[in-house]
Amino acid sequence: MSGSRRLDGLLAAGVDFVAGVPCSYLKRFFAGCRELPVSAFLPAVREDHAVAACVGAWLGGRRSIAAMQNSGLGYCLEVLTSLHLMYGVPLPMLVSDRGDPSDYEEHRILGQRTRQLLDLFEIPWLEARPGMEGDEARWLVDASERERKPAVLLVGREADV
Amino acid sequence: MTRAEAVAMALALLSDNDIVVAADGAIAREAYRARDRARTFYMLGSMGQVASIALGLAMTRMERVVALDGDGNLLMGFGGLALVGGLKPPNLYHLVLDNGCYATTGGQPALSQQVDLAAAAAGSGYPWARRCFAGDHEREAMDAWLAASGPALLDLAVEAADPDPAPRIPMTPVQMADRVRVALARS
Repeated sequence: MSGSRRLDGLLAAGVDFVAGVPCSYLKRFFAGCRELPVSAFLPAVREDHAVAACVGAWLGGRRSIAAMQNSGLGYCLEVLTSLHLMYGVPLPMLVSDRGDPSDYEEHRILGQRTRQLLDLFEIPWLEARPGMEGDEARWLVDASERERKPAVLLVGREADV
Repeated sequence: MTRAEAVAMALALLSDNDIVVAADGAIAREAYRARDRARTFYMLGSMGQVASIALGLAMTRMERVVALDGDGNLLMGFGGLALVGGLKPPNLYHLVLDNGCYATTGGQPALSQQVDLAAAAAGSGYPWARRCFAGDHEREAMDAWLAASGPALLDLAVEAADPDPAPRIPMTPVQMADRVRVALARS
């Protein structure tokens, strides 16, 4: 048990490589990642590097996941379109769901368009709910592998469990 | 030495077991023409991510992983140097084919003419990082690079001129990815 039910659910679904950049909505998840073996967690410096490293891990035989704040999706777009979507690489993603009207200004412009952005690139997404971690982890892995593309679980501030 | 000659020289020094990530554009096409191999991943886009893809492979595999990078490519994803230097995968070997310009888009000068990429790698934590100037015993430099303890970066000067452009690779991106993944799953 990692201290994060979200991470435990993903590990139980077969995830064995995590790359990402922390978000305060994913504190518990990233704290759990620190306990993973060094070959299973890549603390990236920017989100595009995290998703690119997940391609390397997938080529190497791993089931990888990328975790980040939704602002990082902007950095990722070039890699998601010219690696994952073009080469057919599955990628489960945990993305924080920042930007509601009560959130700080710097999160609102991209945050309020996160779902539209994902829809535009036909990337399936689901909103996380506390207590559903196991089902959500299986959905994330199955959706990304069935369609060989990214799939996103949007994690609000109550869903970092 | 042209970039294509340097790519061919590096590939000739590798064993079939080594895993290669070839940078998008001319480097991937030259790698395919010089020595196509099932364990080479050919990038078509995502400029700047050569080191990051190689890092994901190096962390999850025991074999040597060789990144064939370009200077403009490395500069675009400069954070990749920090990742490799900070995490120090011992099996990652990074070769920068440095022509000082953006050759495929018309030869516009790159800041690699001012920025010392080997010094940047050393400062990021690569235990071995060297620069090899044009005509300065490239073969010996490559031998030393591959014999060093990793992660190791060789910034190799190559000519900007591209007298014999390599054609596009006759595989789909999905075929390229699946071939590598299947080849690695077999061992």
